[in-house]
Amino acid sequence: MSQGALIQAVELGKRYGPIIALNGVSFGIHDGITGILGENGAGKSTAIKIFLGLLQPTSGRAIVLGEDASESITVRAKLGYMPEHDCLPTRVSAAEFLTHLAEVSGLPPERARTRAADTLRHVGLFEERYRAIGGYSTGMKQRVKLAQALVHDPRIVLLDEPTAGLDPSGREEMLDLVRKTHRDFGISILFSSHLMSDVERTCDRIIVLQGGQLVQAGEVTDFTTETETVFIEVDDRSEELVSELVSRGISVTAEAGGLNLEGTDDSIYDEVRDALVAVGAPLRRMAPRRRALTELFARDGEELVVGGDE
Amino acid sequence: MNEARSTGTAEGTVFDIGYQRYSGPREGRHRARTAVFKDGLRTALGIGRGGRAKLLPWTFIGLLVVIGFILALVAGAALRLGGPDALEGLPTHSDFYGISSIFFFVFAAVVAPDLICPDRRHGVINLYLVRPLTGIDYIVARWSAFLVVALGVAWLPQFVLLIGRLMGHPDPGGYFSENWTDIPNILLSGAAMAAYMTTLAMLVAAFTKRRAYASVFLVGLFVISTPFTAGLSTEIEGAVGQWISMFNLSNIPVHVNDMIFGEVSEVTGGAPARELGSRVLLAWYFGWVLIPGAILVERYRRLTP
Repeated sequence: MSQGALIQAVELGKRYGPIIALNGVSFGIHDGITGILGENGAGKSTAIKIFLGLLQPTSGRAIVLGEDASESITVRAKLGYMPEHDCLPTRVSAAEFLTHLAEVSGLPPERARTRAADTLRHVGLFEERYRAIGGYSTGMKQRVKLAQALVHDPRIVLLDEPTAGLDPSGREEMLDLVRKTHRDFGISILFSSHLMSDVERTCDRIIVLQGGQLVQAGEVTDFTTETETVFIEVDDRSEELVSELVSRGISVTAEAGGLNLEGTDDSIYDEVRDALVAVGAPLRRMAPRRRALTELFARDGEELVVGGDE
Repeated sequence: MNEARSTGTAEGTVFDIGYQRYSGPREGRHRARTAVFKDGLRTALGIGRGGRAKLLPWTFIGLLVVIGFILALVAGAALRLGGPDALEGLPTHSDFYGISSIFFFVFAAVVAPDLICPDRRHGVINLYLVRPLTGIDYIVARWSAFLVVALGVAWLPQFVLLIGRLMGHPDPGGYFSENWTDIPNILLSGAAMAAYMTTLAMLVAAFTKRRAYASVFLVGLFVISTPFTAGLSTEIEGAVGQWISMFNLSNIPVHVNDMIFGEVSEVTGGAPARELGSRVLLAWYFGWVLIPGAILVERYRRLTP
């Protein structure tokens, strides 16, 4: 078991009859924002539901904040959950609904009311808080879903596909809220998504599930810095420069008017400098460029490209 | 610090303190159950909801109170016109549930499903179950909330009738000393009625996400079972007819009401089921409360591991 993990999956397995949803996976979720990445049916939602105590694992254990998730009811007061699907009533106002759910999480009524107002302010719905939820837009409903997960000030929040159904601007706002929730308030977040770009831009660590099995786990930067690339633009002598770089063993691909140079370590910068001098190419721009997770998985395991940028 | 204006009015400053961490008390499962119970009461009575949500429950509550009020007025008028002897034969507390049982059942049919169907239809139940609350906690809290409302609805018109009869009597003190036993009888009989209709209505609602389906099914069940079983049981004589009469769902709690008051109401007076005896009728009533109750609890127990 890894030290200091908020959530620990230990040989966690779940079967639905003959279908294996999770096949004995072990991983830890630590402080910060952790993304669970995987295609539909990979086992992301099943894992989250086991952590929340909504499902009983077929084998293994889920330890949440030091307690067995399938046995402890009290630990749920320290967890927040934003489901992927609809979970909001239509006839009540956001303020009333959040106050009620804060009470269900154990807060006294007066405190619950204050918390509801504060949380709705945090997600940008303070002015709209007395309107019936049924009249909200999709983006506003997603914010209410996030707010209800935060209203009781949980230690960790589990977000299941929080950007599902949002347009690009709504999606960006939601990702900003998720980052802000961790950065400003120190609430750890488990973020499930099939969109790698969302995970890459939001999370510190990722866990990749496929077909109920753990494929990869680690820091997002581990995945991207391992394959560091350099992007350069030159004003002239581009073709000579490409030949020179290739002769020096550097992989070169043309992209958006410039060149992507792929190396394994920092020595690539020395090689680029020497190649520029050797062919006399005037350098206009040079910048390090991390490869996106989408590219990484597209190359290393094509079946893992499950969404990419929308 | 901002200085006060020369007018003497202190200058205010607005701070946006934003989201704050919570360090206050957390009252756990007890608070969770209480919150679900309170929310159930508010939903059943339409409190904090729009006018449409208030319309149905308060219409039925009003209707039942009006029935109690009319019976009290009739008793008052009979007293004035014919004296105390004129009260004999007029409907009183023991007859009230027999007369108005169909309204109670329709009230339960249209209001009780609203406490649990929308939670499953809209997925709100998932938000309850990830909090310190089990499926059993949830359904017991909802059942209790509707039971409290049903008790109020059952008792209120009876007390309107009681107060009406007291006020209309030339000797209220004497009337009360002669009839005070009606109070525990009303409480017990109303509780029997409320527990029965709450449990059946909740059970049916637990099997559909649509409130309308549950309401229509329940209204149909009570409205159809009454003439169907009454007609068939009078045609078929003997034990078969008696047992068909037992399936008159409106009469089941009224038989208990008759036992409590020690009088036979007009509704159940001709029912062949009476011939099976008090013990059978009482066991039948408890069977219709306890077995649906156990199914209801089991259905919600399965929602959480």
